[in-house]
Amino acid sequence: MKELHFKQLDEKLFHEKMDNGLDVYILPKKGFSKTFVTFTTKYGSIDSKFVPLGESEEITVPDGIAHFLEHKMFEKEDGDVFQKFSGYGASANAFTSFTRTAYLFSATDHLYENTETLLNFVQEPYFTQATVEKEKGIIGQEITMYDDQPDWRLYFGTIENMYKDHPVKIDIAGTIESIDAITAEHLYTCYETFYHPSNMLLFVVGAVNPEEMMTYIREHQNKKEFAEFKPIKRSFPNEPLEVAKQENKLFMDVQKPKVYVGLKAKETSIQGDAMMKHEMGIQLALELIFGRSSDFYVQAYEKGWIDESYAFDFTLEKGYGFAIIGSDTSKPKELVEAIKKELKKVEEKWPFGQSDLDRVRKKKIGYFLRALNSVEYIANQFTRYAFNDMDLFDAVPALEQITVADLQNAFASIQGENQQTVFSVLPKKEQETS
Amino acid sequence: MFQSIELQPGIHLHIRPTDQFKTVNFSFKFKHELTNQSASERSVLANVLVHSNEQFPSNPAFRSYLDELYGTILYLDSSKKGSNHYITLLAETVNDQYLSTDGVLDQVLNLLQTVLFRPNLEQGKFKDSIVKREKDSVIQRIESLYDDKTRYAQQRLVELMRPNHPASIGANGTIDAITAITNESLFDAYKKMLEEDELDIYVVGDVNVEEMTSKLQQAFEFKARQLNQKDLHKDVEHPKVEKNAVNEYQEMKQGKLHIGYETNVTFTHPDFPKMQITNGIFGGYPHAKLFLNVREKESMAYYVSSSFSSAYGLLFVLAGIDASKQEKAVGLIDEQLEAMKKGEISQNEIDQTVAMLKNQLKEALDSARGQIEIFDQYKDLGEEFTVDSWVAKWATVTKDDIQEMAKSINKQLVYFLSGKEEMSHEGASL
Repeated sequence: MKELHFKQLDEKLFHEKMDNGLDVYILPKKGFSKTFVTFTTKYGSIDSKFVPLGESEEITVPDGIAHFLEHKMFEKEDGDVFQKFSGYGASANAFTSFTRTAYLFSATDHLYENTETLLNFVQEPYFTQATVEKEKGIIGQEITMYDDQPDWRLYFGTIENMYKDHPVKIDIAGTIESIDAITAEHLYTCYETFYHPSNMLLFVVGAVNPEEMMTYIREHQNKKEFAEFKPIKRSFPNEPLEVAKQENKLFMDVQKPKVYVGLKAKETSIQGDAMMKHEMGIQLALELIFGRSSDFYVQAYEKGWIDESYAFDFTLEKGYGFAIIGSDTSKPKELVEAIKKELKKVEEKWPFGQSDLDRVRKKKIGYFLRALNSVEYIANQFTRYAFNDMDLFDAVPALEQITVADLQNAFASIQGENQQTVFSVLPKKEQETS
Repeated sequence: MFQSIELQPGIHLHIRPTDQFKTVNFSFKFKHELTNQSASERSVLANVLVHSNEQFPSNPAFRSYLDELYGTILYLDSSKKGSNHYITLLAETVNDQYLSTDGVLDQVLNLLQTVLFRPNLEQGKFKDSIVKREKDSVIQRIESLYDDKTRYAQQRLVELMRPNHPASIGANGTIDAITAITNESLFDAYKKMLEEDELDIYVVGDVNVEEMTSKLQQAFEFKARQLNQKDLHKDVEHPKVEKNAVNEYQEMKQGKLHIGYETNVTFTHPDFPKMQITNGIFGGYPHAKLFLNVREKESMAYYVSSSFSSAYGLLFVLAGIDASKQEKAVGLIDEQLEAMKKGEISQNEIDQTVAMLKNQLKEALDSARGQIEIFDQYKDLGEEFTVDSWVAKWATVTKDDIQEMAKSINKQLVYFLSGKEEMSHEGASL
């Protein structure tokens, strides 16, 4: 077991790679009564083309299968896993993203019983055609629920505009039609390929004794047998640099138009320290251009082009990346023009200097230290960073070292009109009158 | 847990020194009677006070300063509980020990004082342009409810069950009442908040109690106030609900089923712990009857759950279902409650629910905000709150108690919001 001490942050992290390849991290937090545990596989909705374990031909599985598999992991021959967690007073959950599937619980008691339940239910699949069919009704309602959420539709509409072929453009849960094709056999194939311990990470944070817990996990894992691990062969289509569509819209029963400007990233191949510096650079640049203290924000707010829903964000993973800026607005045209004008201004002449950087850097360091109060943030973000060969606890030193030139260089990834798209959700009544 | 002192009649300071967090949290809770007018005025007021102030008369200057203070979070929040409205001034700042500079905490204290006592005035009034903009902003917040179908359906259910009653008055007020606000009426509301509201101040973090108390006493000159103590949880009269089912329609795919029930139990009632367990077994958790039978057995829903609103003694069931299955879903939900009324409750269900309630309470205390909110709620009970004392209350609850509670739950209204194509011959009953 390795011990890493982050003095400035007053945190100690313990790490061990198990013989079966599983990475285990433990971070004790003083004063906490709960322990939060996540068990995550590097497998998400975009992994739909791959060579199954032990085979040589690539296959394509139905859209939404990673999420479907996540649902089905909870049902076992002897009943629902939630029953076990409830018996030990743990709240359990799971989520599927584009690149990860995470199973988790938080508990203030019976830590070892709950950890055992988590490890066992994720490492012991049980799928039958009958239980798979039954789940289609539940997930069908989940998909329908998201279909009625205008903000979700806006987000996916924007991604769909940006991406021509990459599966990030497909809704994580798939569609009612795509999940209809899923079989128990599909689930076993995906499970065997992506749920090998060497493709997974276990993070324990909160009230925990690190030595005891590490010993417990090691003994537990050593009792189980797994197939020999071979690197997973995933494949993704070649995606053009520029956006697929520059504009699109959707009519829904909403009160006010909603609009997003999406900026498709050109640089999506880096990992590790370079990726951390790059994504931080873009986030800080966006904060300077579109943040609450920016000239843009003041103008847009005073003119009533944005409201409290205004937001901007940058997402980066291997193979895709995008920034999104938008708001509910009664003036979608004016808002989009203003955002594009602001981007153009920055492209033509970089307006920010050292004091600007120092200010947003301080803001970001404060944000990070605040986030370390949250065991959920630590476990989820640490895992996301680790899957991209980055270390969450390097964030403060990396922030301290970043320069104005780094921001400007990183920003180049999302600049240019070919990277820009606009997606709007408009009130149905506007469609009827137009 | 918290050390409490009375600073002035009606003003209490509660400090919890702890090194659990890397930040220090402040919360100033101003309490006032909840009406459509007070909620409207106070929501706009919260926005105006956080926009700018005498020291930072423009919003970007104010925001830049917060950035410089290591991204200190500072905002005002408008909320309600029972028959009271709250304006809460919240701040969270990084503890100086983690920073290369110090003195940040003192600057934040000064800033809190500025936000409350030195607003951005022009000839003794708020600036007209800011008032107008922030009125619009709160109106837009209210309008956006329509776009969130679950929240909208829940609001409609409560309006139909308890019209003109604190249960259905929104914390942001109404569009009409906000439109009617003038600069003068807003300034009056501000004066009243500072001079008349009951105030609780909370501090959580690695602080010295004596030092923090004296700093707060120096910086904030609050005057004593008369307490108009009303029973927070006393039920307000409400007219009898005429209908027992209402269907409404919008352009949407899923059907939103919201069922409202009456009970005689509120937060201060001795049966409250029994009702918490009853709700938990009915639909509060993934081991509950609703989850197992409506979701897992029948595959009818992705979400189906119940929640108990202890401030008003109301219980709600929420489910997202196929619009054609309203009748079947209502039947299944009724069956689960009927089963409980007949005493079909296992010891395992009780044990699971108590374990979950206990975990939820202990977990909530792992955040500074959670510590403040729980202490603030339980202090109204007039007995010292500890996790163990609540766990002890749950431990004595029996199957018979839960059956009795279930029998006292009366279904009052079934509200269903669904797509327009389902309208058929039924017709909208709005």
